[in-house]
Amino acid sequence: MKESSDTRVLPSTPVERLRLYGVFFFFAAGFLYVVGGLAFRQLVQSSDLKEQSDTQSRRVVLRPPARGRIYDRNGFPLVDNRARWSVKADLAALQKEFRAEYLRLLAAEKAREAVQVDREKLMEDARVRVLQGWLNKVWFVIDETNRSSKDRKPAKLAPVTAPGERQVNIEDLRKHLRERRALPFTLVSDLAFPGTGQALTADDGTKSVARFIEQFPVEGPIRLESDIVRTYPFGAMAAHVLGYVKDTDELPDNVDDISEIRLESMQKLHYTGKTGAAGIELSYNHVLSGLSGWELWSKTSSGYNQTRLKYSEPQQGSNVPLSLDYRIQLAAESALSKVKDPQGKLLPAAAVMLDVHSGEILALASQPSFDPNRLADRVSANYYEEIEKSGGWLNRATQGLYAPGSTFKVITATAGMRKKVIDWDDILECGPSYRVGNRDFPEHEPAGFGEVNLDKMLAISCNVWNYQVALRTGIEALAAESRRFGLDTPLLQTVSDVESGRQPMTELPYAANRGLVVPDREYKLRIGAGAWNDGDTANMSIGQGYLLTTPLHMACVAASIARGQTRTTPSIIHDVRRDGHHVGSEPIGLTQAQFEALRGGMVRCVEEGTARVARIPGLVYAGKTGTAEYFKKGEKAHLAWMIGFAPANDPVVAFAVLVEGQLDTNTWGGKTAGPVAKEMLETWWPIAVKANQEEKAEGSR
Amino acid sequence: MDQNRQGARASYVALAISFAVWVLLPSAVRRLNREAFAEFQAPALHLVGKSRDLATFWEKKSRSTEEMAAAGRDLARINAALEIKLNALEDIRRENVRLREITRYNVPVEYLSVVARVATRDSSSWWQRIVIRKGRNDGIRPGAPVVFGNTVVGRVTAVHLTTSEVDLVTSPGFRCTAYLEGDDQNHIVLVNGVAANSLGTAKARVSVIPRDYSMPAGQPARVFTTGMGGVFPSRLMLGYLDGGTYATQVGNFKESLLIPSRDLYNLQEVSVLVPLHQNPGEALMQGDQFQ
Repeated sequence: MKESSDTRVLPSTPVERLRLYGVFFFFAAGFLYVVGGLAFRQLVQSSDLKEQSDTQSRRVVLRPPARGRIYDRNGFPLVDNRARWSVKADLAALQKEFRAEYLRLLAAEKAREAVQVDREKLMEDARVRVLQGWLNKVWFVIDETNRSSKDRKPAKLAPVTAPGERQVNIEDLRKHLRERRALPFTLVSDLAFPGTGQALTADDGTKSVARFIEQFPVEGPIRLESDIVRTYPFGAMAAHVLGYVKDTDELPDNVDDISEIRLESMQKLHYTGKTGAAGIELSYNHVLSGLSGWELWSKTSSGYNQTRLKYSEPQQGSNVPLSLDYRIQLAAESALSKVKDPQGKLLPAAAVMLDVHSGEILALASQPSFDPNRLADRVSANYYEEIEKSGGWLNRATQGLYAPGSTFKVITATAGMRKKVIDWDDILECGPSYRVGNRDFPEHEPAGFGEVNLDKMLAISCNVWNYQVALRTGIEALAAESRRFGLDTPLLQTVSDVESGRQPMTELPYAANRGLVVPDREYKLRIGAGAWNDGDTANMSIGQGYLLTTPLHMACVAASIARGQTRTTPSIIHDVRRDGHHVGSEPIGLTQAQFEALRGGMVRCVEEGTARVARIPGLVYAGKTGTAEYFKKGEKAHLAWMIGFAPANDPVVAFAVLVEGQLDTNTWGGKTAGPVAKEMLETWWPIAVKANQEEKAEGSR
Repeated sequence: MDQNRQGARASYVALAISFAVWVLLPSAVRRLNREAFAEFQAPALHLVGKSRDLATFWEKKSRSTEEMAAAGRDLARINAALEIKLNALEDIRRENVRLREITRYNVPVEYLSVVARVATRDSSSWWQRIVIRKGRNDGIRPGAPVVFGNTVVGRVTAVHLTTSEVDLVTSPGFRCTAYLEGDDQNHIVLVNGVAANSLGTAKARVSVIPRDYSMPAGQPARVFTTGMGGVFPSRLMLGYLDGGTYATQVGNFKESLLIPSRDLYNLQEVSVLVPLHQNPGEALMQGDQFQ
């Protein structure tokens, strides 16, 4: 029975056999297909499949680099980086807590017999509640330890802490979950400076960080992370030159080029980096930015980071040496801060000092200013408005356009002598006014000055002398002379760009290259103001009318005259190899006697003339003051100017000072701008003497 | 056979039920259970420590009278020198108190020192934890710093009735702020224990070292506590920077390893510095009161 039943299993008929072979073939084909498919994937497609798998299961996290430092000419750091300690929540590690809180909220909703339960909203609430709980713990540690252990007075930290830093921001959390779910969520962005912008004292800030480190549990979902943030040790000093940084999501380099693995196809997440927003931070952004770092992470099915597989550290950007000398810069800003209106409000002003030979700028100050520290992180709208309202964004030294007033008289005199309509020792009769056409152009001294030569004109700033000389010279020659001194030429372009004719890259963005006006007949017609007349020429001869220039241009004019040339190429970058080549410069074109008279007049201006308030015992220097009129709200106000160079015989530095007077201020060149120039020179002079002594000692060795 | 099978099945079922019960137990009950186990274990730990002390005692007892007399003389000299130092310190202390009163200086943190013998090293965390023979009964609180002389040993992480657990400086659960010798600007750096391999040497990591920091020439830089975090008194020694790994740069800072200044594996006695006032970190360690 058994045998017969066994034999029944095998097919006996051809049809049945055929069927059996068919089944065998079907399975064999299927097996071959599977094996072949596997072999194909393993041997042929393996690299593509691995890449696909990597793409799906891994991600790259990019880390921004630290920016390079900015130094002054002596290697003193003007812009640095400091460690920023932020408290972050690891959302992946908090999943269980989120879930538990969600279930609790759900149970509460059900107990309330709510008709419709919005589960997404509940999950969001749960996340916020859990994170808020942890944030409360963070602040508990900081606040409690900020109270005196004995008398438990209120925390020192409390008044400067922005309320926003104590509450989890739902919008921020939503954005984070949408865009950067895998990265930790920031609870407190800067422990040392909570509230961002209002700096604690360094000691308080450090204590907060130390307290968190030592008192908060090490293990758990709350992490302390440190990164780099920009810091400006001198606060608002040279803020217009240095600029500030802002957040950017664009990292400074192509990470694919620097990594040894193929990153281009993978999902990329990045921490927010910084980019230059103004000043040197912007114009030298490509130098200051370093190379980004990257981390290759495997990720969980829910999208959180799991394990760091590989990484490459970010590389800091290069440093930028500036030509500024922080001591002179501080002195310039300190002097400007003393220039106030009757209500004690700072007057808008600017001051520039530069090296006569190299053109390197030693100080470039503009008032009002701003504190870049308060712009380095999240900028509060109030602070933005505050700067906007005060006019603090404008760099008055390079962007402010002003009539140069009587400081222009050095150019009028040069033009007259070069045109041979006047010589250094010619004497002109200068009464209380001078009639041009049907209008009397006044002298600033009601009685007039009588007989005036070049030397006296510069000392007392005689207007009538200039009216006469300018009318003899003519507007064409006067405008040409102004252009020869570069009053229509943009400044702070890099020398190579100027010479190669490329699109200029300015050393400071928007620096002194827009809105400059050297008027002439064509200009007046172009703006629709009619034909040029002698009155316009007389006006221009004393630096009034349509003429518009910047304090930096006038400092360059002073430096050029100091060297007996016409152009100075200023630079804010310090370079010891700078050879003193000034683009487009040529000899001033005066005889030795004429040049000596020009310089002598400027010395007399300081010693006994309009700038005598700025006289410095022991230092003989040349100066020229100016008081220009401008219209403010339809009424006349004054601009106070002073330019010059020092020492008179062997010039080393040149300077320009400008103060914008208001309707209610008594603003005059010598009286208002003079003390600022004096304070700058008084700071520079001992530095120069010491440097000179050291140089001599070095030479004698 | 069937009976055997049934017995095996029953034991598996019992195991599964026990596991399920343990998982489902409220966390407070589980904590209580762990605490009870620690208390149950405490006499054994005491016994281990005391046995070691006894062994040391008999080892010393076996020394010759001459040796003991010489050691006694040395000790007497050291005592005399220390007494002079103590008097000087007392004068300085009084002067300090006077100056603080004049300047209304806010006294940072004051501590009560509790001396404790080491009972054992806890193997459950790769020997990075020690158990000491003083506990809640002796006033010890969690979070208190533990020192030996002028050197930080670690920090109390758990306190039982008569014993306490101390995370050593090299334990991953240890974290504090520090100053580096030779850093004139006193930047704070972070000292954090590193998880050791089973046979590896325990280490601590010193991170967030400023990039421009350079170590004093000719000697490894000492690492001190800052005293700013409200836990450790200032200027206690944590150890030395390991010069060999000093050049490593991590991110935008430098990083190095810390060589502890004491042999943490052979400690026999330590002092627990219990703060006179509770700091907020202790409250965090003791329970969740913020949700």
